[in-house]
Parts: sequence; C-alpha cells; structure tokens
Amino acid sequence: MADTKSGRFASSSAAISPLVQSPENLECKNFQEYLRTRQTPETLEKLYNYPPICLAVYRELPEIARQFVIRILFVDQPVPQAVVTSWGAQRVAKEQMEATSCLTALCVWRVTAIPGGLAAWELSPTFKKSVRQVLLGGGKPWAMTNTLDKDSKPRDITFLDSYAMSRWRCVLHYMVGTGGRNGGTDAEAISPDAVRILLHANLMKRDERDGITITRQGFQFLLLDTRAQVWHFMLQYLETCEERGISLPECLSMLFQLSFSTLGRDYSSEGMNSQMLTFLQHLREFGLVFQRKRKEGRFYPTRLALNVTNKDAAQASTTADEERMQERGYIVVETNYRVYAYTDSQLQVAVLGLFTELLYRFPNLVVGVLTRDSVRQALRGGITAEQIVSYLEQYAHPNMKLVESAIQSKSCLPPTVVDQIKLWELERNRFTYTEGVVYNQFLSQNDFVTLRDYAQSINMLVWQNERTRTMVVQKNGHDDVKRYWKKYSKSGG
Amino acid sequence: MEIPDVAASKEAEASIDLLAIVLDTNPSQQIVRQNPQNLTQILEAVIAFGNAHLMQKAQNKLAVLSCSHYTTEFLFPLPGRHVELRQIDGQYEAFSLVEKTVKQQLGSILMNAPRLSAPCESLLAGSMSMALCYISRLQRNVPAGVKMHSRILVLTGSNECASQYMTYMNVFFTAQKLGIVVDTCALDKTLSLLQQGCDITNGQFLKVNQLDGLLQYLLWVFLPSPQMRHKLVLPPTPKVDYRASCFCHRELIDIGYVCSVCLSVFCKYSPICTTCHTIFKTPGPLPVKPKKKKKTDKQI
Amino acid sequence: MVNVMKGVLVECDPAMKQFLLHLDEKLALGRKFIIQDLDESHLFISTDIVEVLQARVDELMDRISFPLHEKDP
Repeated sequence: MADTKSGRFASSSAAISPLVQSPENLECKNFQEYLRTRQTPETLEKLYNYPPICLAVYRELPEIARQFVIRILFVDQPVPQAVVTSWGAQRVAKEQMEATSCLTALCVWRVTAIPGGLAAWELSPTFKKSVRQVLLGGGKPWAMTNTLDKDSKPRDITFLDSYAMSRWRCVLHYMVGTGGRNGGTDAEAISPDAVRILLHANLMKRDERDGITITRQGFQFLLLDTRAQVWHFMLQYLETCEERGISLPECLSMLFQLSFSTLGRDYSSEGMNSQMLTFLQHLREFGLVFQRKRKEGRFYPTRLALNVTNKDAAQASTTADEERMQERGYIVVETNYRVYAYTDSQLQVAVLGLFTELLYRFPNLVVGVLTRDSVRQALRGGITAEQIVSYLEQYAHPNMKLVESAIQSKSCLPPTVVDQIKLWELERNRFTYTEGVVYNQFLSQNDFVTLRDYAQSINMLVWQNERTRTMVVQKNGHDDVKRYWKKYSKSGG
Repeated sequence: MEIPDVAASKEAEASIDLLAIVLDTNPSQQIVRQNPQNLTQILEAVIAFGNAHLMQKAQNKLAVLSCSHYTTEFLFPLPGRHVELRQIDGQYEAFSLVEKTVKQQLGSILMNAPRLSAPCESLLAGSMSMALCYISRLQRNVPAGVKMHSRILVLTGSNECASQYMTYMNVFFTAQKLGIVVDTCALDKTLSLLQQGCDITNGQFLKVNQLDGLLQYLLWVFLPSPQMRHKLVLPPTPKVDYRASCFCHRELIDIGYVCSVCLSVFCKYSPICTTCHTIFKTPGPLPVKPKKKKKTDKQI
Repeated sequence: MVNVMKGVLVECDPAMKQFLLHLDEKLALGRKFIIQDLDESHLFISTDIVEVLQARVDELMDRISFPLHEKDP
C-alpha cells in the first residue's frame, strides 16, 4: 500500500559504494556520438573541408535532418527557423526537435539573424561546399583515385574477403590467446602497434604475472559482430593517431574514402604523404586493405573497410551469391536450449564457451547447452543478455532463417530461449542498492518538508515518505544536508 | 506512441529504397519542341535528383528508364557495360558513374531514334511496366531478412494518352498489389490517369509550372521515402478525376454502358462487346408501366 | 532532534522484501541488519551486510531454480 506521497526520487549521480558498483562495460559509439563528444566546433569545421567526411556525416544524420539539409543545400540565403519548423508535421514535433538539435550539435548549421530580426538557420559554408561537390562535381578528386595501369594480377572479391577475415581473425585470436602467444599452429603474432591499440582501448590489460590478458570489455568486444568490432577498433585507433603524429582529419578522410569505395577495384596510393602511407600499412595489417607489396602503388579495399560505420548497408548489399562466400552463420539454437555450432575454429569455440556449457566436440561440430550456470557465469563476466542474444542471431545458421516462425518475427531464435536468457539476467538484478543516510523522527512536519525540499533541490534526495516523516539522502550529500539543517535549526526555523 | 515509432524508424533506416525514374524523352513533347535545351535542363535535374537519392543511404538503389515514342531503354544501371571510371573532380565516383552512364546512353538513343514526321505519343504505360518488372526482379534477389521499399517516379511533359488506358490500369493495380508507390511529376498538363494511379498507390502528384526550379521541386516533394512522408508537410492531394474512359473512343465519360461479363465501358450501345465478344440482346422499347389509378378516384 | 542513521537503501519487489524480513527475523545472517522498514519495496539496512546478503540471495535463487535441460547421463 504505497502512500501516494512517498516515492523514490531517482537522481542521476547516485553514489554507490565500491562493492555494489557496476563495473565498466564496453561502450560502442557510433560516428555521430564520436563527433559530438570528441570534437570541438573548430575541429569539426576543419573536418568538413574534406568531402568524404561530409558525406559520411550526412549519411549518419537522422532522416528528417537529411531532408532539411538537402532542401537548403541549394538555397543561398539563411532560412528562417519558423519556416524550417513548418516543414515537419505536427505529430512528429519531438523527432523534429531531435533532428534540429543534432544538426546544431554537429555544427552542420548554425543560427544567424536575417534582416528583420528573425532567427534563421544557415548551413556551414564548408559543409555546404563539400556536399555540393560530392553531389554535383567540381573541386579536387579524392586522393586515391589517380589513374592506374591495369593490374597484371588482379585480385577478385573472394580472395579479398578471405584475406580480410584471416587478418582480422589474427587480432581476435591474439585476444583470446589461441594465437601465436601460446604457440598456436596457424596464427601469426600481431604487431606492437595493434597491441598498443588493444591496451589503449582497455580490451586487454598488462598484468605483472600473466603478461597481457583480456579484460571484461574484451570479452564483450568478442561478442560484437565483425563490423561493429572493426568500427570500434578504428575509433580507438583514431584516438591514438594524434600521438603517433598522424593528423586526424586526414586519417578520417582516408578512412571514409575507403568506406565509400567500390569493392573489387584497385586504387592508387601515389601521392600520399608518409603519414598516410603508415596509416595504409596499419589498415593492411588489420585486413581493411590488401596490398601485395609494401612499395606497390596500388591497393584494394576489402569488405571490412566498406561502409565501415553502417552495418545495414553492408548487410543489404550482399547478394545471395556473395553471402555464400562470406562468413556464413553456423550456429543452430534449439528450443531445448541446445546449441549446435558447425565450426572448427578455435576462436569461435572459445567465444561460445564463454556463455554455453560445451558438451561434445566433433571435427566439424560443437554441441553445447545454454544453462543457467553458464549464462550466469557470462553475466558475472560483464557480458549482457542482449549481447549473447545478438551474437547468436548474428551467426545463426541460414537454415534457422528459413523456418516459418523466423520469417514472421524479427528474430530467428526461439523466443523461449531468448526470454529465458533475459530472465536469468534480471534474476541478478532483484536488488538495487544505494548507499545513503536515513533521516526520521522529525519533530514537526515543517522541518521535514523544508529539509526534504532542500535535499531535492541539490539532487541528493533518494526516497521520502511524508506520512512517516522519513527521508533518505545519498551518502555524499549528507554533509551538505547536515550543514543546511544546522543553519536552519539555528535560525530558529 | 513512442516506442513503435523508434522501432519503425530504425527499421526504415535499415531498409533498401529503390527508386525507378521513368523519364519521358520523346522529342514531340510540347516543352521540348518549344526549346530543345529544356530536355538538357530536365536531364540535369533528374541526374542530380537520382544522385541525391543515392546519397541518402548507402544501400539505396536507383534505376533510370528513358521512354520515347518507339521504345523504352534503361539508362542506368547497364550491367553489361563496365565503365572504368576514375574521379576527375570531387564528385563521388558512384554519382559520376550515374551521370556519365545516363548521358552517354541517352545520347546514343537520341542519335539512333527514327525520324519523326508528326508528333507521336510516348509509351509511358509500357515504360512503367518495364520498371515494375525490374523492381520485382530485384525484389526476388534481396538477401533474407532485408526489406526493400520501391517506388516509381514518372517525369513527363506529354499529354494524356487515353489509348493506353488499359495498360495504365493494369500497371496501377499491379503496383498497388506489390506495394510499389507511383509518383508523378507533370511538366505540362494535369494528367488525370496518372493522377488516379498516384492516388491508389499512395504516391504524390505534382504539376510543375516552371522548369527553373525543377530540381528543388523534386527534392522537396519526391525525395522523402513514402514511409517517412507522413512526417513532413507535402502538397495535399487534389481532387482526383475518377471518370472512366470508354473503350471505343477513349473519351472520359460520366454515364455509359457496361458489359456484364467483362466490365468494359462503352459510351454507345453496341450489340457485341468488343473485348469479350458477348452478344447483347437489343433492348426493345422500355415497357410502359400502366399508370396506377389513384385510389382517390374511386372515392365517393 | 532528527534521528540520522547511515546505511544502504535497498529497492526490490515485495516478494524479495518479505524474504529479507524473514532473514532478519531468523537472524540468518548472524544478526539483525534491517535498520528501518520504509515501504513495500524499500528497506534500509546496514552497510556491511550487503555482500553477505547478496550471497544469500544468490543461494536462494540457486535453490529455487531447476535445470531446464537434462544433461545426458
């Protein structure tokens, strides 16, 4: 029987004691978030000088924002804000507000005043110029597109795909420890540069005793799909590139040029400065480009580099034939919680072993079962139910997608299994703890109300009940409240 | 209704949008005869519009068909021809490919077109059927789990061709069944048949009065995908003229005769239906009903 | 004078709260740990007992769960 006046006031900065603190989880930013959080308006302006970056930014914008931008792309004068607001229908006012705030935060447009005093929007001139160039022409060609002689030994898409995956897997193998470190058979060690990025990204850590080991976030990273992994990895790389002396705008521009290139085509590396050539070598190591020899003037972007920020584009662009050549799904999940994985890769078996209990191992098949214990173990390691489910979905065997129920619903996994995994996660969260201080036995109602309102005004109030005159304040707010109370009682309140 | 909207827009972001533009390149169009430069201007606007569509999402697809008085040809994509294209300026290479292919192909079509002695009408309905075939072929090759939304944009300066009525109706009903949206941009007259088609497929019909702002009109009205059009304020649909046209003269009529077997419409009575060859009995003079004597007469 | 006590605010569903009250009453954790019963889904308990409490709850959850899948013998 909850009293209507009682309740818990959630506050955004809850102080939690170390033992109940939720450990850090892997944070994957998309490109928009990266720009908003990491870049200042000045750097954004510098970035917008590069047409590939502008095209990437444009595609990242929300749908309504894209329409607005293209409408004013060819208008030279600033457009009154009232006019722009009238373009959106009333019922999506909230979405429209989000779109406009996104455009402002990314400095794509800014507020100016027009004669008459009305506030108006105008596109950033650099952004406008770059996007017009990309769309209609004019300006300089992008760095990689100098004409080349025909390649005497052209590489086809199948080769590029297998090359890319084998390079990328080297990195993953290294993380799991099934790679060269432990003397594995076919894995190659990765370069110190790559290790440095893994350490910087907190995916691995340096331990005195064990050397370099994988962290919690590293486990979560392994469960992401390849595209998300590559993007996250590249973001971490970009964060360290200034330290290595590579300019960030050039790096980003090159990355996006690759992202928009055509698969199966060779591009020229002539005319690139030494920084960019170093960057290209790093990309070659991670499997984003293929180059036969270091000194060769041409390279081929691989599928990993294409549409690097956008998973949907990659999924949509593979035709039925290409899908066969790529990494196929290999996991079958049954309604009795059994998991069959048709693979013999050490890495994939290791990742599966993180959250399932492996029962049998055959040359081409691994059988496991999802038990409460195995999932809880994964949950304790920091993996979320959502990640487990999306990993299983991502690598689902093609036959799973053909089942009638899968065609109707969005997911091809049995709903019972998905729900149960989520329930096992919820089971661990039956309690939420907040360290705090309780105040009760107030002598008068007034005292209580005053103190409660003060605590709420400094955002430290956690729970209160007016009827019993009890309230709970966060631990780190206690001193402030105590001081206020002393002051208040002294003044004879 | 927050959460369904978010999920719907996420799904919309992941889907493929296919735009098929049917461009009327018939030299006997009024606007082309007035000034041949107009066709160039229209072409530039269409190319920029097509590229703007491709710019929206990396997975969007584009097809351009040219419709003239004797044939329909694909201007883009041309799978047989691999154009080795390197950037010559800052334009994104995919967009340059579109521009170059369309211009080259249209040039060769116009050069090889048979000479016209008198104005001929454009085969728009046929072009739209070709576009529908292309769309359904692509729809079959879509990988599992990916959604594709398609639409056709018809850009024409021709007048209404009532002789293509049947084909138009077939096209519209097919598009409606397949969930394909038909948009029309009329450069000269209001086309009632195409208006009807836009209406039943939930598309937009726009009559553009001046060619100068054509690109801006296209970007404003036709660029947003049908799934998000409800979020923007677009020109309202005018009242659509739903009159049928008779099968004998292709004239729009309000009242007419309908064959009870195949439902073809005629303006004048004819003893045999020209479509299904059913024989109708000649209607005799309508029997005159005896006037009912009013009961009041018998009253005393 | 206002009574001030330091501790931990616990939010949970009513069923769990009854379980905690039961543990408190039966002195299952060695001593009483509930400082104050706030409302149907909130309790105020002492700080040092939290770890032990979490372990006990996990134990309870283990006891009441039954394996969904019988492993082959």
